[in-house]
Amino acid sequence: MLAAVALSFSGFTALCLSMEKHYIELLKHKPSAARRRVLRWGGWALLLLSSWVAVKNAGWAMGLVHVTAVYMMTAVVLVWMLPYQPRLALILAALGLLVGPLNLSGLF
Amino acid sequence: MKEGFRQSMSWLHTWAGLIFGWLLFAIFLTGTLSYFKEEINHWAKPEVPVRSLDTAASLALAQGYLQVHASGSPRWFINVPDAREPVLRVGWQDPGKPGRAGFMRKNLDPQTGAEVQARESRGGDFFYRFHFELQMGYPWGRWLSSIAAMVMFVGLISGIIVHKKLFKEFFTFRPGKGQRSWLDGHNALGVLVLPFHLMITYSSLVIFMTMVMPASIVSAYGDNTQALFKEMFPARDTPAPAGQPAPLVSLPSLYAQFEREQPGARLGRVEVLQAGDVNARVVMSRHNGDQVSTAVGAARTFDGVSGKRLDSGTATAPMVQASGTFYGLHMGQFAGPWLRWGYFLFGLGGTAIIGTGLIMWLGKRQLKHAKSGVQPMELRLVEVLNIASMAGLLLAIVSFLWANRLLPSTLLGRSDWEINSFFLMWGLALVHAALRPGRKAWAEQLAAGAILYALLPVLNGLTTDRGLWRSIPRGDWAMAGVDLTALATGLVLAWSLHRLHLKTRQPARRTLRTARTAEPIGTVLEGDAR
Amino acid sequence: MKNNTGGVPVSYRLAVASRVLAAVLGGYVLTSLVSICVALSLPMARSEAVLVSLMTSFVFYLLAILWCFACRSAGRAWAGMALPSLVLAAIWGVMAGTVGA
Repeated sequence: MLAAVALSFSGFTALCLSMEKHYIELLKHKPSAARRRVLRWGGWALLLLSSWVAVKNAGWAMGLVHVTAVYMMTAVVLVWMLPYQPRLALILAALGLLVGPLNLSGLF
Repeated sequence: MKEGFRQSMSWLHTWAGLIFGWLLFAIFLTGTLSYFKEEINHWAKPEVPVRSLDTAASLALAQGYLQVHASGSPRWFINVPDAREPVLRVGWQDPGKPGRAGFMRKNLDPQTGAEVQARESRGGDFFYRFHFELQMGYPWGRWLSSIAAMVMFVGLISGIIVHKKLFKEFFTFRPGKGQRSWLDGHNALGVLVLPFHLMITYSSLVIFMTMVMPASIVSAYGDNTQALFKEMFPARDTPAPAGQPAPLVSLPSLYAQFEREQPGARLGRVEVLQAGDVNARVVMSRHNGDQVSTAVGAARTFDGVSGKRLDSGTATAPMVQASGTFYGLHMGQFAGPWLRWGYFLFGLGGTAIIGTGLIMWLGKRQLKHAKSGVQPMELRLVEVLNIASMAGLLLAIVSFLWANRLLPSTLLGRSDWEINSFFLMWGLALVHAALRPGRKAWAEQLAAGAILYALLPVLNGLTTDRGLWRSIPRGDWAMAGVDLTALATGLVLAWSLHRLHLKTRQPARRTLRTARTAEPIGTVLEGDAR
Repeated sequence: MKNNTGGVPVSYRLAVASRVLAAVLGGYVLTSLVSICVALSLPMARSEAVLVSLMTSFVFYLLAILWCFACRSAGRAWAGMALPSLVLAAIWGVMAGTVGA
């Protein structure tokens, strides 16, 4: 479950950053088109990975229910944090990129 | 044409949202509480002992009790205690009184089998029943809540159609900007939690679909509409009594069979049909928490005398499973602790969507009249209803819990008086909102709410031996959870009051700022006069 | 579109009321007929077909309601409910007739 949450949060953050307006707000400089594309593809990939983890853990029925709840929860937390603690959100997203795979591999 | 379409959908969204918003707020809030109805039940009956769970022993005790008190009844029900509600529940249909009036319910101590002497209270079940029956007679409440559900569905879809920047503003939330922030919040909760809102709303329609859309049932089954349910659930058929007495098989022995055949399965409900007759049958269902659909792997049916397995174990039909999935998703019985809190928070989100919508509806129109200084009667009515249906309802809920602790356990009709407290407080809030100016009414009701919610754990500690300092070390998280959630609610209300105070202290600057930011929203939400 | 703060014309209010009735009542009749035809025409067991017709009915009701408010006039709203209803009723008659006979 932790992996699914971490991957989902990082995925949504990536998708958020892939939007020029938010990228500029959060990182204070203009992103190149290539960077935005990477963030967009990366974001979707992370979200898909989160689904895969959930289904692998709990089967299709429960897994889809779990991941939908995870998506909604992480999206809300992210959007809530962006105006108040944008730096913390970015840090957590970066951590998520570590925690996710580590948790999957069983090391954490 | 496209602009016209969006405008008409905006009109529909705005007016459907207003007219049904107050009712929907109540349905959503009490429905959200229902995800913890077992915990609230437990909180409301502190006398119920928390024993370690032994399903087989509980079954034996229940059987013993029912054989003495419910012999001759065509249907017995047994719900064994589980981690969330440690009570052994039995029910039976009184043979002399058919229908709902003759349904008897008792709570038993899972260790002794004796009736639990607990204060009479509906507990969490009150909120649960209220959210779809609305304290109205059968079937009117269900009809009204179903109509409200359909309006909610219309509101959700029209809202999606109207939200032009759904993807562009997916991550947008700008606090501290008056009306713009309210709209951002309304949109964010709507879009980010959309799967939940759609699921909850559509599933609520599916739950009562046979009642509200009977046309296809009647056209396919004619007079014999009961045949639909028999075809859906062939195992649940109540056999006719043969009139010949025969001892009921030992229920624990059937449970042993149940456990053997489905390792790891939890027992949900046991139904005994025609107990004591030679045609008796026992139906054992899996705990709703074991799978999403409430219809899958429905039941094991056993002969009530020999204990032989009767059902052929055929798979549930796909559409029966589908409708069971809608039901299961709505009820969320399968949810473990994390997911259950998820349901609760998403439910609060849905409640907040409705609440923010109501506030914006009024706020936007109040701005139009701010310069003239006179508020037309219709807006005043909306203001009073907003306050009573939101702050007032919160007060009503906490009053129910206060009444539970304060009313003497010997009072006749005690559980009815708890419910009366709920409605009396709600009525009082309405009167108060009508008599006081808007801002003051909000402030006073929020303040009262903050105090009552925050002090609930103190009240619990003073009136029972299950206060936080006892329940937490014991690991009685159901009891502690209700106390802690009440405390948190009190703090949130206090914070809201604080925000309201800040707003009131700088009225001139705020009105100007909100007036400026109101323009962009106006173009989207305009269309209330076509 | 009159956006005056004074009285809204009566004709407007009547038009709105008419659309509401078309949506709520007309829509319900239309939805019922759709579900009847769906249940009778699906090639599955009777209880299964009825369940599908029931579970999907609310989507049709939603579409009917949206139509009644999106279309250009109250008259069109009623037409949008009545015409498909007549067609479906006819189809029902044919299907029920062939089964009964």
